[in-house]
Amino acid sequence: MVNILSCEINCAKSLTKRALEDGTEIPYFSLAEKIEQNQDEIYEAIKKVVLKVLPEEREKTALLVGTSLVDWNLVDAINACAYEQKELYSSKKRSIDSYAKDLSCEFGLSSFTMSINTACTSSANALLEAKNLINAGVVEYAIVIGVEIFSPVMSSGFYSMDLLSSSKPQPFGKNRDGLVLGEGVGAILLGKDKSPWELVGGFSNCNSQTITSVSSSGDECVEVMHNALKNCAKLAEDITTLKAHATGSQANDEAEMNAIKKVFKKEPNIITLKQHIGHTIGASGVLEIAYMLQNVKFKNDENIMCNYFGFGGNNISLILRKHR
Amino acid sequence: MKLYIKEYISYIDDGEIDIKKELKQKYKLDTRRQDRFIYLAVYGGQLLKQKIEIKEDDELYVTSGVGNAEIVQKTNTYMYKENQPLKLFDFINLLGNTTSYYIAKSLGIKGKNIFQISDNFTYTNTLISAYASILNSKKDVIICTIDLVSSPEEITKRVMGVKKSCEVQSSVNYQKLSLSKDGAIGMIEFGLDEETTCKAEDKPFETYTSYVINRALRDKKDLLHVEIFEDKKRTIKVKSFK
Repeated sequence: MVNILSCEINCAKSLTKRALEDGTEIPYFSLAEKIEQNQDEIYEAIKKVVLKVLPEEREKTALLVGTSLVDWNLVDAINACAYEQKELYSSKKRSIDSYAKDLSCEFGLSSFTMSINTACTSSANALLEAKNLINAGVVEYAIVIGVEIFSPVMSSGFYSMDLLSSSKPQPFGKNRDGLVLGEGVGAILLGKDKSPWELVGGFSNCNSQTITSVSSSGDECVEVMHNALKNCAKLAEDITTLKAHATGSQANDEAEMNAIKKVFKKEPNIITLKQHIGHTIGASGVLEIAYMLQNVKFKNDENIMCNYFGFGGNNISLILRKHR
Repeated sequence: MKLYIKEYISYIDDGEIDIKKELKQKYKLDTRRQDRFIYLAVYGGQLLKQKIEIKEDDELYVTSGVGNAEIVQKTNTYMYKENQPLKLFDFINLLGNTTSYYIAKSLGIKGKNIFQISDNFTYTNTLISAYASILNSKKDVIICTIDLVSSPEEITKRVMGVKKSCEVQSSVNYQKLSLSKDGAIGMIEFGLDEETTCKAEDKPFETYTSYVINRALRDKKDLLHVEIFEDKKRTIKVKSFK
């Protein structure tokens, strides 16, 4: 049994605005303390949440990151030599995983680090991978990080796809007009120690109709939810609460609502969170679970399903259980 | 930890084959909206598909030492040097799992699909993740390692952290792995790292270990391979079933 031992988040508290490169302002859930898109500031932001969930047995702890952040090590390397201005050659291995590796070295964790980049499902996938690593006996604990910091590139991408709301997010709302992005950092510590919260399991796959969306029937979502139930030896009626992905976009919310109707004869209590913290893309897996555990009251013996559906056809459903 | 190898392919891209043309003409694949990194990854998948049956529920793990540097460079140039708006499919291709989506689509895989990068031992960490996953799911797993040299080559060398004089190469490697020995052509044993004072030689690409393993299988040889990163080493044993 792999349990959620502790969690920590630093996410936006209110809806503000951020500017894209061309000056266009978009609604955005910004962190109170502005974090610049540079290695040091992102590292420090991650470190603050990791410090709060460090277990005693650090050398037996893996660190996994889920993010869709652009790899700024690549941008730095490109800027150093691809254009006119050249910087002195430096040979030090750097990648998107360097945040995890540096933290692992700084805190004496296991050398197993991994950064997963599967768009909106990144840190949800990292949670499932971490659970597998613990179950396989590779490590005893895993810190799973979800991180997403405001990126003009990523935001411009969503803007160019006409997916952003012009006002506020209304997940599953009748008048929803798109998603509102947000930034934040979350950390969840997993291990086998006793805890009221179990990560029972889940199912992750890549079966979407197109690279950007699931079909309006929601059949891809149905498949992933059914398989998550099967993997966790649960029935649909065992699920008491569903944390929906619910971005507030017209098409994806419709697909997920259709899927929920197909999976559940009697709908469980449905929670949507993106109206509170925005869509934190790759960080949403960890951030939304941590936010939910800190802000929503659950009864004992509840089973909670958490959905995440992303670009690149990646879909995942996780199941948590609150024990007595 | 131990896994059985069902099949493998290695391809070093020396520029002799027009991969995009090959994908369109020989494999009848749609190459629109993709780029060189994705072409190379998908091409490797097609080479594997010619050698072994790929199942719909096979798990797919894709890893890279550097990632798709060309698309980052392209968007960086557009947005910050030429003040042009970001193009839709350039944005999509920036996401790591776009590459794994196209691989999965071309192989008919609808199962688990993970794109991941590790600063230290990216191939063996992926191997460990894949092992832990199929221990639970009992499925087979396909591991793809992909590295593409971008232009100028110095970008790739800086990210890899190799000497400026190191010769780097573009390469794609695949392995189909299983917990079951049935039909296996080899076995691979691996574990977490140990301390070492030895120093690593520069590699032509970050995921070189997967290439070395595949070469041993091709030559039907057993192999003891030691991979070194900073002050840590990983020992990998390959047994070829002759």
